[in-house]
Amino acid sequence: MLHLTLSILEDGLFAAIAAIGFGSISNIPFKAFSGCALLAAIGHATRYFLMTSLDWNIIPAAFIGALCIGLLSIPASLIWKCPAECLSSPALLPMIPGMYAYRAVQALLKCLEHTGESAFQHYFYVLNFNLLYCVIIIVMMVIGIMAPIFLFSNLSFKATKA
Amino acid sequence: MLGMYDAAEQEKHESLKSTACFLTDYSVALLTCGTTTIRIEKNVERIAQAYGMHVEITILPLHIMLTLWDADRTHSYANSQKIKGGGLNFYLITQLSRLSWEILSKQMPLDQSRQEFQRLLAKPRLNKWLVLLLVGLANASFCHLFQGDWASMAIVFIATIDGFYLKNKLHGDWHWDIRITTLISAFAAAAISCAGFVFHIGDTPDVALATSVLFLVPGIPFINSVSDLIHGHYICFLSRCIHATVLTICLSLGLCLALLIMNVSL
Repeated sequence: MLHLTLSILEDGLFAAIAAIGFGSISNIPFKAFSGCALLAAIGHATRYFLMTSLDWNIIPAAFIGALCIGLLSIPASLIWKCPAECLSSPALLPMIPGMYAYRAVQALLKCLEHTGESAFQHYFYVLNFNLLYCVIIIVMMVIGIMAPIFLFSNLSFKATKA
Repeated sequence: MLGMYDAAEQEKHESLKSTACFLTDYSVALLTCGTTTIRIEKNVERIAQAYGMHVEITILPLHIMLTLWDADRTHSYANSQKIKGGGLNFYLITQLSRLSWEILSKQMPLDQSRQEFQRLLAKPRLNKWLVLLLVGLANASFCHLFQGDWASMAIVFIATIDGFYLKNKLHGDWHWDIRITTLISAFAAAAISCAGFVFHIGDTPDVALATSVLFLVPGIPFINSVSDLIHGHYICFLSRCIHATVLTICLSLGLCLALLIMNVSL
């Protein structure tokens, strides 16, 4: 139990560093660094917990993780005084399935390289598998962060109100 | 009598014109720094409301077209503008959204709004050396999330710093095309992280190699494109999605090229 808690905390910590680093490329406000880090840690740790302890598939786990980020981004946007998506989008970055995305492109190149039927079919399978996962994960995650903004829209668009 | 009527008409026209020009500049700035279409619409409508006018805005991938009507919808002014190049900037999105609320609540006159807008545009970005360091740390911790060991994390840190510096230099300073830049940066980062294989450093050289290019994945454009999809802005969705996909293909090509040249298979 202690081991699990520690590994979840560790996962959250590294996800927070990743979110701040990738977010800083998009020039997130310096004051919002702590907010992004916190949301990213909660979201990624939730996904990690669901995938390792409960053996969930990455798609529903990523959706629930993103939903947590989305729900928390609304109170957070009022605290950090910046739009909800300026906190939740950078927080989502560590969960973007980049590995799936470029594995799909690699498989595409392999398809062109191998003309034999069985090898072609294998790489075609790899291509489709990675592509499907990548697309569905991204769409589900964005629905996860957008749904709360939709539901509480009068709140979330007023975060920057003085 | 006729002359007086013309003067009032002229004044109305001037006020519509200057407000429309401000709103176009404002929305172009928002679109340039990577705002979702729904927020651009809300912010622009808020400012128009503050000045007692109606606005109809069309957001295209590279253009903003807007028509501004006076309160009783008898006069209008239409304007369109192309976006200029510029990176994603969440700081600017936050500040420009705040400005739109201030204009509404303080009933800010137009020339003061424009001054404030210009002041916000001139704000500098985060220090680029700080960003370089943070990106390196971010990608190294990403490597850790994929079960990479400390040696692999160190390799990824160095590879990322080099790749990102190259990207800044080529795209930021020399204004090379972003696609070529992405390909070259991915190639450099992947080639450097092949060190794990070549010199047998660490137990997880495959993780180091696979995560070394992840800092180039255009995450925010992907997220924004799906957000536009959800809100029904299909043209913006398609354009952002295609842009992000092209960049992903470029970074994969860079990685494959590095694997080919270093004779490593992943």
